[in-house]
Amino acid sequence: MPDLKDLAAEIDRCSQCNFCLAACPVYREDRLESSGARGRINLVKAALLDQTLPVSGRVRELIDRCLLCTNCVQTCPASIRVDDIVAAARANLPNRNPAERMLLRRLLDRRAVSGVVGSLLKGLNLFNLPSLANPPLQQRLPAAVRPDGPVSARVAYFVGCGVNYLYPDTGEALVKVFSANGVEVVIPAGQQCCGLPALARGDKEMAREAVRANAALFAPLDVDAVVTDCTSCGYMLKVQVTALLPPDDPALPAAQAVAGRIVEATEFLAALGLQRQPRTQAVTVTYHVPCHRHWSAALADAPPKIAALVPGARFVPLREPRRCCGAGGAFFLSHRELSASIRGPKIEDIVATGAQVVLTQCPACRYFLQEGLGTESGVRVMHPLAFLAGGC
Amino acid sequence: MPPISGLYRDLAGLLDRRRVLTGREDLLAYANDATPARVLPAAVVVPVDGAEIAAVLRYADRRCIPVVPRGAGTSLSGGATPLPGSIVLDLKRLDRIVEIDKANLMAVVECGVVTQRFQAAVEDVGLFYPPDPQSLSVCTMGGNVATRAGGPRGVKYGTTKDYVLGLEAVLPDGSLTGYGGKSVKMSSGYDLARLLTGSEGTLAVITRIMARLLPLPPARQTMLAIFPELDPAAQCVADLMAEGAGPCALELLDRVLVNCIEDFLHMGLPREVEALLLIEVDGYPAQVERDSRLIEDLCRRYGSREVTVAADAKEAESLWRARRALLPAVSLRAPTVLTEDATVPRSRVPEMVRAIRRIARANQVEVGVCGHAGDGNLHPAILADRRDPELMGRVARTVAEIGREALKLGGTLSGEHGIGTHKAAYLEWEFGPPGVELMRRIKKAFDPNGIMNPGKIFTDG
Ligand SMILES: Cc1cc2nc3c(=O)[nH]c(=O)nc-3n(C[C@H](O)[C@H](O)[C@H](O)COP(=O)(O)OP(=O)(O)OC[C@H]3O[C@@H](n4cnc5c(N)ncnc54)[C@H](O)[C@@H]3O)c2cc1C
Ligand code: SF4
Ligand code: SF4
Repeated sequence: MPDLKDLAAEIDRCSQCNFCLAACPVYREDRLESSGARGRINLVKAALLDQTLPVSGRVRELIDRCLLCTNCVQTCPASIRVDDIVAAARANLPNRNPAERMLLRRLLDRRAVSGVVGSLLKGLNLFNLPSLANPPLQQRLPAAVRPDGPVSARVAYFVGCGVNYLYPDTGEALVKVFSANGVEVVIPAGQQCCGLPALARGDKEMAREAVRANAALFAPLDVDAVVTDCTSCGYMLKVQVTALLPPDDPALPAAQAVAGRIVEATEFLAALGLQRQPRTQAVTVTYHVPCHRHWSAALADAPPKIAALVPGARFVPLREPRRCCGAGGAFFLSHRELSASIRGPKIEDIVATGAQVVLTQCPACRYFLQEGLGTESGVRVMHPLAFLAGGC
Repeated sequence: MPPISGLYRDLAGLLDRRRVLTGREDLLAYANDATPARVLPAAVVVPVDGAEIAAVLRYADRRCIPVVPRGAGTSLSGGATPLPGSIVLDLKRLDRIVEIDKANLMAVVECGVVTQRFQAAVEDVGLFYPPDPQSLSVCTMGGNVATRAGGPRGVKYGTTKDYVLGLEAVLPDGSLTGYGGKSVKMSSGYDLARLLTGSEGTLAVITRIMARLLPLPPARQTMLAIFPELDPAAQCVADLMAEGAGPCALELLDRVLVNCIEDFLHMGLPREVEALLLIEVDGYPAQVERDSRLIEDLCRRYGSREVTVAADAKEAESLWRARRALLPAVSLRAPTVLTEDATVPRSRVPEMVRAIRRIARANQVEVGVCGHAGDGNLHPAILADRRDPELMGRVARTVAEIGREALKLGGTLSGEHGIGTHKAAYLEWEFGPPGVELMRRIKKAFDPNGIMNPGKIFTDG
């Protein structure tokens, strides 16, 4: 993510057509143009670049009130990088809470012990939070898992934070499914967060540190691809990293090389095909497409394909599979009410399909949808690979 | 503009205070439409029904506060740009499709319904609402009616004005008026629905639209013809229509614009051409096939070196997406882009295209020519920079000269975007002082205190 000044040209590229208006989940709730993407970038320009508007509480609120979901970017005929503009604006708003920053840093470089993370999460008062992975997934996985038979491909697995701390079942499923289908998985030790949470907060330096560390770890590996099971990590690792590092950064070539090899795990598997027929699972399945999907054309097609490979599974698409669920990474933690009301129609959509299983490739979507569906509903939200593993 | 005392308090007494905005941070989002001018209004209100609109209008009328009706704010003529000290009425929350009446081939919608959503809803039941402004994914039915919006399909199906059976509107004094309804024929009284259609928010706030529908044509076909020269392409357009090939869309793009789109979308359009025609035919399958062949022959006769037919709906959609991406694509080339919409009788398209080129050269302004050429509605895209006053002066001259030329060729200042602020100064060129004076008297009858979108259509409100 470049500086806001570098983004001035990007802001000027906006033709003010307003095509992005209804794509914004926040606009759809507030129904005020100041909550839409055009309003937001014009605000950033006035308040932070032209400085014709004082940085008031409302300016902050409007800049904070964005999920960085990129739905506007995906709708914009000029693909204006609204999310980058908003994140850069956040970086330019002083007075960020230093204690929060320290905690985020410990979480990001994964030096935090589970106890700290646990108490942090408890403090957030989250509903039905899965018990914390202890030890985190990364420390549980071996350095490499080889298939029993012949090896058709070799991939490195990037372990995202959501899966590392909260949903280790996804990572375990990935390793199981990949190795069952002839793919060797290497899991380099010492991985850090992809950096997106720091970026979202506007903390570029922290994000850069994580990116450099991961680039050094993954670039030397002799693998066909670096797979991620999280669509937001994928967006960060494939698209954002190279713009984040300055052109003369020594880590840039390595980061670019890794970016070139990033593939979303479900997509990778769908393209490879299954060697072994999965077991029958007689359930109705649907699929929620995470918002961070535009970094790869095929990632949204893969989960329905995977579901179709499971005998007995009946796939019913959502009416609006691409509608935002409201989670926005950690956005829902600070915007409870807004997020919950964005989620409302999504939950109705899911319930109307009669599905018992909702597939999605984003841990934040998974958490937030499960929270919205409740536990009594009997509907379970899971990663497509975990669904497949259940039938393996 | 001094703040209007008690404005927030007064408005908050008329509707839910969360739907009354007076903070600059929020007003900023309403300071412009899709044109360069930025003006902060005094307040924005977001009514949800006609009663709230009436209350706000009554209040504003009593205090002589200007009111600017606003749909999606995509106006290309400055029509939705606020005035200093005005109240902007954001009408997007009146968004119910009240009724789709298949037996009478009509529908009733509130003004804030988004055009594309309406089209999809009627197509779901086998009906067709043809007007297709390229902004249809976001613009509103109210905005379309208020500007007589049109689009590529205008060549065969006409524009929004041809689909208004009736309207309901709130007058500045807060009273509700209606004209027309379900019957296709109507011969009683002055046609107030027609009068309000295209009134650009200067007479009343349109709240409901009774829209005429057609049966959905069962087949359609999209084609792309490549021309090595602009002139014969323009000539081909005129002849296509004369020969009765009846395309439902006939779009012309010149070299500058083809390259803009290609820079932007990388979809493999040929860069070395002087003109592209994007053509669509619809109707019964046999007729579509006949027309396609006729058009292909004609294009070749005029020197088109390649005519390709979209293989399927997806390919056709990607061609149309390219067309809709035009404005953003052009805006990569210049910080400010003005989209003109002077319109001439279609037989004069070749002359007009030549004139635009000449005017651009004379004023040293870069202009890309495109447009719904089939109905003579050209959209010269003028590349400008609003930070450069000298250039903006030449751009204004270009706009004026293009308008004058269109009138000279028997055309009109605006085919579909409206007069707004951009062309208000030239209105007399088209209608003469008596014509404009009559229009002013009509405005006065509707809006005696001159609160409705002053400065639009007429320079002085
Ligand atoms: C990229 C792009 C492409 C475009 N392509 C086309 C095109 O192909 N064809 C075309 O015709 N236009 C086109 N436009 C222009 C614009 O979209 C149309 O003029 C459209 O009809 C405006 O609708 P809106 O809802 O955005 O209205 P606004 O821009 O908000 O308002 C337009 C005018 O209507 C008035 N108004 C709005 N609602 C009401 C109401 N309910 N009652 C009374 N007055 C009202 C406003 O005061 C203003 O004068 C394009 C614009 C853009 C940005
Ligand atoms: S990133 Fe999402 S929330 Fe933010 S402006 Fe764009 S659409 Fe709205
Ligand atoms: S961000 Fe894109 S879609 Fe939105 S107003 Fe600007 S150019 Fe149009």
